[in-house]
Amino acid sequence: MTGPAILLLLAGLGAIAWVSARARALRLQGAARASGRRDAMHSLPGYHGWYVALWTLVPAGIFLAVWANVAPGLVVQQVLSSPAAQSLPADDFSRSAILGEARAIATGQQAGAFNPLSQGLVDPYRDALGKFGMAGAALALVLAFAGGAYAFTRVRPDFRARTRVERLVMATLLIASLLAIITTLGIVVSLLWESFRFFSMVSPIDFLFGTKWSPQSAALGYGNDDAFGAVPLFWGTIFIGAVIAMAVAIPLGLMSAIYLTQYASPTLRKWMKPTLEMLAGVPTVVYGYFAALTIAPALRDFAVMIGIHGASSESALAAGLVMGVMIIPFVSSMADDSIAAVPQSMRDGSLAMGATTSETIRRVLIPAALPGVVGGVLLAVSRAIGETMIVVMAAGLAANLTLNPFASVTTVTTQIVQLLTGDQEFDSAKTLAAFALGLVLFVVTLLLNIVALRVVKKYREAYE
Amino acid sequence: MTAMIQEQAKPAAAVETKMTARDVKVFYGEKQAIKGVSIDVDMDNVTAFIGPSGCGKSTFLRTLNRMNDTVASARVEGTITLDGEDIYAPAMDVVQLRARVGMVFQKPNPFPKSIYENIAYGPRIHGLASGKADLDVIVEKSLRRAGLWDEVKDRLHDSGTALSGGQQQRLCIGRAIAVEPEVILMDEPCSALDPIATAKIEELIHELRGRYAIVIVTHNMQQAARVSQRTAFFHLGELVEYGVTSDIFTNPKQERTKDYITGRYG
Amino acid sequence: MAEHTIKAFDQEMDKLRGLIAEMGGRAESAIEKAMLALQRHDKVMAADVVAEDKRIDAIEAEVEKLAIEIIALRAPMANDLRDVIAALKIVGVVERIGDYAKNIAKRVPLIAANQRTQEPIALLPSMGQVAGEMVQDALNAFAARDADLALAVVERDTVVDDFYNSVFRTLVTFMVENPKTISECAHLLFIAKNIERIGDHATNVAEMVYYAATGQTLPDRERGGQSQED
Repeated sequence: MTGPAILLLLAGLGAIAWVSARARALRLQGAARASGRRDAMHSLPGYHGWYVALWTLVPAGIFLAVWANVAPGLVVQQVLSSPAAQSLPADDFSRSAILGEARAIATGQQAGAFNPLSQGLVDPYRDALGKFGMAGAALALVLAFAGGAYAFTRVRPDFRARTRVERLVMATLLIASLLAIITTLGIVVSLLWESFRFFSMVSPIDFLFGTKWSPQSAALGYGNDDAFGAVPLFWGTIFIGAVIAMAVAIPLGLMSAIYLTQYASPTLRKWMKPTLEMLAGVPTVVYGYFAALTIAPALRDFAVMIGIHGASSESALAAGLVMGVMIIPFVSSMADDSIAAVPQSMRDGSLAMGATTSETIRRVLIPAALPGVVGGVLLAVSRAIGETMIVVMAAGLAANLTLNPFASVTTVTTQIVQLLTGDQEFDSAKTLAAFALGLVLFVVTLLLNIVALRVVKKYREAYE
Repeated sequence: MTAMIQEQAKPAAAVETKMTARDVKVFYGEKQAIKGVSIDVDMDNVTAFIGPSGCGKSTFLRTLNRMNDTVASARVEGTITLDGEDIYAPAMDVVQLRARVGMVFQKPNPFPKSIYENIAYGPRIHGLASGKADLDVIVEKSLRRAGLWDEVKDRLHDSGTALSGGQQQRLCIGRAIAVEPEVILMDEPCSALDPIATAKIEELIHELRGRYAIVIVTHNMQQAARVSQRTAFFHLGELVEYGVTSDIFTNPKQERTKDYITGRYG
Repeated sequence: MAEHTIKAFDQEMDKLRGLIAEMGGRAESAIEKAMLALQRHDKVMAADVVAEDKRIDAIEAEVEKLAIEIIALRAPMANDLRDVIAALKIVGVVERIGDYAKNIAKRVPLIAANQRTQEPIALLPSMGQVAGEMVQDALNAFAARDADLALAVVERDTVVDDFYNSVFRTLVTFMVENPKTISECAHLLFIAKNIERIGDHATNVAEMVYYAATGQTLPDRERGGQSQED
């Protein structure tokens, strides 16, 4: 019996369970009412229905999930114990290839066999599949019936189906939220593991403090020493994300926030704020080619015109400027919120002292909103250094340790992309370096986020 | 008994009228919040505005230093003068006006700066101090007048927001005093304070009386009775009755006033 | 008049008025009984009046307590404040009126029941009746917030004063003619004086009622009887 069919059958059983349990509960309720006791039923009939339906579906469902993982192993075991399998080659690789082919033919995904050995295995495979499929389906159905019957016997007036269903709902929600956390943990663990492998090849000191970055040369066999100094990458990341981008985003974001909160009329604000926030919705790849195709050449021409040497067609400035523009909505939105959160009474207090609006903004609102603004900026920085697309397209690949904004620099994210695109072998230091970089990036952005959220939280508490 | 009541209020000729309002109407959009109020505020008496919520007393108070200007939909008709000068005249500099007519708000709103900087704020923006030493003098004088000096003199550079509610409110009064205003408007200055802190503010108002013209809006009738010499009762945007406080509280002329102050309102 | 938003306040004010009305009733009946006892030389009734004065004192204490509570807990304003203060003052005065009635009753046994004093006593009951009515009216005026009634009480004080002057002259003449009756007549003279004081006190009550009801004080008036003695 196939998977979809059994699932459909189970669903049907669940529906029947729901309907019949509800009907029984309704009858019980009717009887209770007839005897004049309005409170005789603890739970509404619907809850009884759900309770029984869940008992029918959940154990069988869990069993099927487990079975789906266990059954293939059992199938293979049985196939291997069949007489046709005695002639299989000994090495694992060709053996699993033949078995795979046999399975494909047996399930009808492949019409004919390339390997005669697998042709002989098709029948045993088909038998085994059918046998275990039937066994699984039968067991699932038995479980569904058993669960349903057990639950059905519990449908009594005083049975607290409502409470049970509630508990089940809670458990379901808990599992859903745990999934996200477990995923995160899984990512962290895999990052840690791969990084650990990398650091067993390259010393962490060399990685964190070395100034020469040339993983390609390491891959070509020149040795790991001096090839994985990540400082130029860190510098490039900071130079673009935290220096140039912020030099653009902070003043522009702050000023637009001030204008929107303090000067703009409500109508204008209603239009301008969403428009500004639309900037955040532009795909980063669009920013990327804008930076690479429009801004970067223009900047290079400009640099050449004013006589700066070393101007490259991919520059830190181009990537930083465009990234700054991209970040503006983050800064302005956070600054907007912080300024708006400064109590009106404080603004009134200053105005009532005879201060002008700009004096009030400068001397009262900005200082009061500063923690919130700082929090916003930190979040923006963490977003900027994690940003990939723009820098990949516009910043370049050369790991230069330079202060010249017109020069090409590279960033952590760019290098990760670089190291992992295309076919890779996952045991060389070159590939594993990407994980180490990812770990550093992860730790830094995590810290920035924690600090930013704490600052913002503390600031919120001060006014609530 | 009549003689006693009349003693508390000075004869009309002797008081110096500081602000006058004539037929003042305030509109918020289409809604009329104040319906033709005429009132005189003088130097020597504390004037209290009382009335139920939404009666327009705070709105009217805010017309006296043009704080209603910050509300875009607000429109003021009629004339209000300060020392005979129309404060709604185009030539009037609203920033200067607010330096002359200070305001203290319902909730203490010290700036998130040090105590010293809170007081120094006004003198700085108006350039009242010629140097650091001068500013120190102004800060001390203002804090003394606000009755706060002894409590904070050792921690002038602590944050103003770290003070207790009552101290914060006195800091705000000190802040208003620091720019040497002529009139101080207080919008329910004690509504967020406990009774002891309230008593201190009331005592402070007593001490400030005569030096500044003081107008106080309050929900608390007892407070109006305690701190003011003149009381104005507002109801539904009208000035129902204005008179000597002791008369208003012992023998109001208008039925509406009587019902309100004896607790028969609504 | 509209009710207070706080109903308990109304109930307390009603209780205050009720107590004062009761006190007034008792004071008036004490005066009436004292005069009857005097007329009939009824020592039992006189003792009764003395005993009942205790109840008037008790009501005074109760009203004072209630008034102080109202002031402390309700913070009365305007007419409420005037009412409470008036009540506080009125009970003190009515207590004095009760004392005068008691005083009169105490003199009853000292005046021998004989024909000698019949003549001078003749005027006193009518005088007592007028004073008693003044007390009653003043307190009714308080209960009804009736300023006009209070004014009428004030005006009637001259009647009592005239009575007193007339009793005074009669007694003096009588004593001159019948020196043996001087000690009894002296008692009668004091009784007349007491009734005159009751009238004055009733007038004071009426003035307070007038203030409580209108917020105005009465203009100064001629205080007829008081100038002669006191």
